[in-house]
Amino acid sequence: MQPERIEQLLHYYKDMLRIRYFEEKILNYMLPNKLFRGSSHLCIGQEAVAVGAIHAMEAEDYLYTTHRSHGHTLARGMDMEAAFAEIMGRTTGVCHGRGGSMHLADASLRILGANPVVGSNIPMAAGSALALKMQGKPGIVVAFFGEGALNTGACHEAFNMAALWDLPVVFICEDNQYAISVPEATAMADEDLHERAAAYGMEGLRLDGMNVLEVYEYCRASFGKTRRTGRPALLVFDTYRFVGHHTADSEQYRPKDEAIEVLREKDPVHFVEREFLEDCLVDPEKAVDIRLEIKEEVEAAFQRALNGPWPDPEKLTEGLWAESEVTCDE
Amino acid sequence: MSDQGREVVFAQAIRTALREEMKRDESVILWGQDIGVYGGVYGATTGLQREFGKERVRDAPISEMAIAGLAVGSAILGMRPVVEIMYADFLMHASDAIANQAAKWRYMSGGQFKVPAVFRSPGGGGSGYAAQHSQNIEAWFCHIPGLKVVCPCMPRDARALLKTAIRDDNPVVFLEHKSHYTHRGPMPKEEETLPLGKADVKRQGSDVTLVSWSRTLLWALEAAERLQDEEGVSVEVIDPLTLRPLDLDCILESLGKTGRLVIAHESHAFCGVGGEIIAQIAENHLDLLKAPPKRVCAVPCPLPYSEPLEKAALPDADNIAAAIRKVVG
Ligand SMILES: Cc1ncc(C[n+]2csc(CCOP(=O)(O)OP(=O)(O)O)c2C)c(N)n1
Repeated sequence: MQPERIEQLLHYYKDMLRIRYFEEKILNYMLPNKLFRGSSHLCIGQEAVAVGAIHAMEAEDYLYTTHRSHGHTLARGMDMEAAFAEIMGRTTGVCHGRGGSMHLADASLRILGANPVVGSNIPMAAGSALALKMQGKPGIVVAFFGEGALNTGACHEAFNMAALWDLPVVFICEDNQYAISVPEATAMADEDLHERAAAYGMEGLRLDGMNVLEVYEYCRASFGKTRRTGRPALLVFDTYRFVGHHTADSEQYRPKDEAIEVLREKDPVHFVEREFLEDCLVDPEKAVDIRLEIKEEVEAAFQRALNGPWPDPEKLTEGLWAESEVTCDE
Repeated sequence: MSDQGREVVFAQAIRTALREEMKRDESVILWGQDIGVYGGVYGATTGLQREFGKERVRDAPISEMAIAGLAVGSAILGMRPVVEIMYADFLMHASDAIANQAAKWRYMSGGQFKVPAVFRSPGGGGSGYAAQHSQNIEAWFCHIPGLKVVCPCMPRDARALLKTAIRDDNPVVFLEHKSHYTHRGPMPKEEETLPLGKADVKRQGSDVTLVSWSRTLLWALEAAERLQDEEGVSVEVIDPLTLRPLDLDCILESLGKTGRLVIAHESHAFCGVGGEIIAQIAENHLDLLKAPPKRVCAVPCPLPYSEPLEKAALPDADNIAAAIRKVVG
């Protein structure tokens, strides 16, 4: 393998580990210790899509994510302490504790928001692409969502308008097989999901979402094309979530060992270790070191976040309105 | 009055009503996201698909507009659909079918059709679900002529009202509270129905009339209890149960005794149902009021996630007690 390729792979591997450990912290520590409220939606098993796709983006690009946002936001570079703190509702959170796990947003990274209203981020992404286009600005908009979102009216309306108005937006559907408890076959009249794009004259591809390098290559090509042509596209990645829909999911809708089996065969993190790391690393112990290093990094961020102060209830309504001065005509 | 029966949780009361009505009437059918094998995210439909089959209890795609639209269309041709919208916030997606279509189809057609559909959905905060999964939007639907809006709190009432809602020939928006599905209360064994549009006096009192519904009723009762014990203030607590049609007479009767009014609800005060009640009283029955009425509602901002902020945003027994003191003071 070429040195740059090795660097790239190690970089992605670390990002995937960071996401995995971040979420394992939520699942194994924060959940039993009641350190967050409501529910948190983990992307364990889907890290390759997040990391491959996000790294195929440029700094100038924008993204929207969903309730399942930790992968996208961390891969894009969200500060882990600020992410943890948000999930714990502290003022040091990236949204000052107002949003929580389902609403991570970071304007400085062009993360325009995590949107847990399924499907609603799709027209918003098209709208942001319209803004870029009309302002003559470079960049594209990437919208992440699950296959369940493909059944919303918002999705179809936005696909049509994005294609009709030539908007630079790429729709990334992470097909993790289930929308909460509902398997695809129960909710989709036709499971060739990418073909829905054709109805709107848009390119639609169905791709493997478990190999991070491939995800990167597919996205790089697709984003490049959208950048050049200004045309939207739909990429459907086959993936799987190894854990419950959220941290309170009983998972009685799928066979007990299904997740374990898929995990054994397809875990995107193990995949990298199995297929590539040996080629890159002379010393296999280095992989252990990497894992330790990332684990410590995650733990340190968590500890810092844990010390974050709680928001002041007196400031409850602060920031509801934009305070800009409006000049009215005489 | 029947015996108090056994204790059930709110979810079980809903399930009981659905089950009884499905047994009673073949045209009662259900669909919604995750209501089949999963039994609904709050367990309101657990076991119903097993009992009644996949034809009558269907898992629906994430297509609220169509979930509600299909309900309207099937109701027009004689089915009695009860659809579940997983969170009340997403009733906004479904609101074309509910507010533009269901509410108007009968009137617009000169009375040729009826739309016996029920739209069930949990709203409300208190669980850390933040701004887009916690709203109380009963007032949105109360605004639309042609819709009935039910907002129960006690399991027993919920069961009895849902049964009536299903039998009603008009569209009914049936609002539950997501933090309330495990709330326990007695429910009689035998079947029981309650009329829509009739309030219930939950606690007798003579100094102040306190009107409250949905989960906030619990805090209202707590405040009433406390004021009685600690300050000797006698609070009459009324649960309207149905917000439209509204049983104003029940409130007026109570005001005849007390002359003082507090209304507590978790939804916002601005353009809310509490304001409507006060307006109706002010317009036609101002003479009944000995003191300006008060509302206790959510602070007007999107519901924040963080616990101390969420707590500060929502009404509780303390806020309600404070309002009562002001009104009697
Ligand atoms: C409009 C809307 N309807 C219902 C829900 C409740 N809900 C939250 S996540 C989810 C399933 C989403 O499935 P999918 O889009 O495939 O994404 P995944 O959770 O699998 O990542 C549902 C139904 C919602 N958040 N928004």
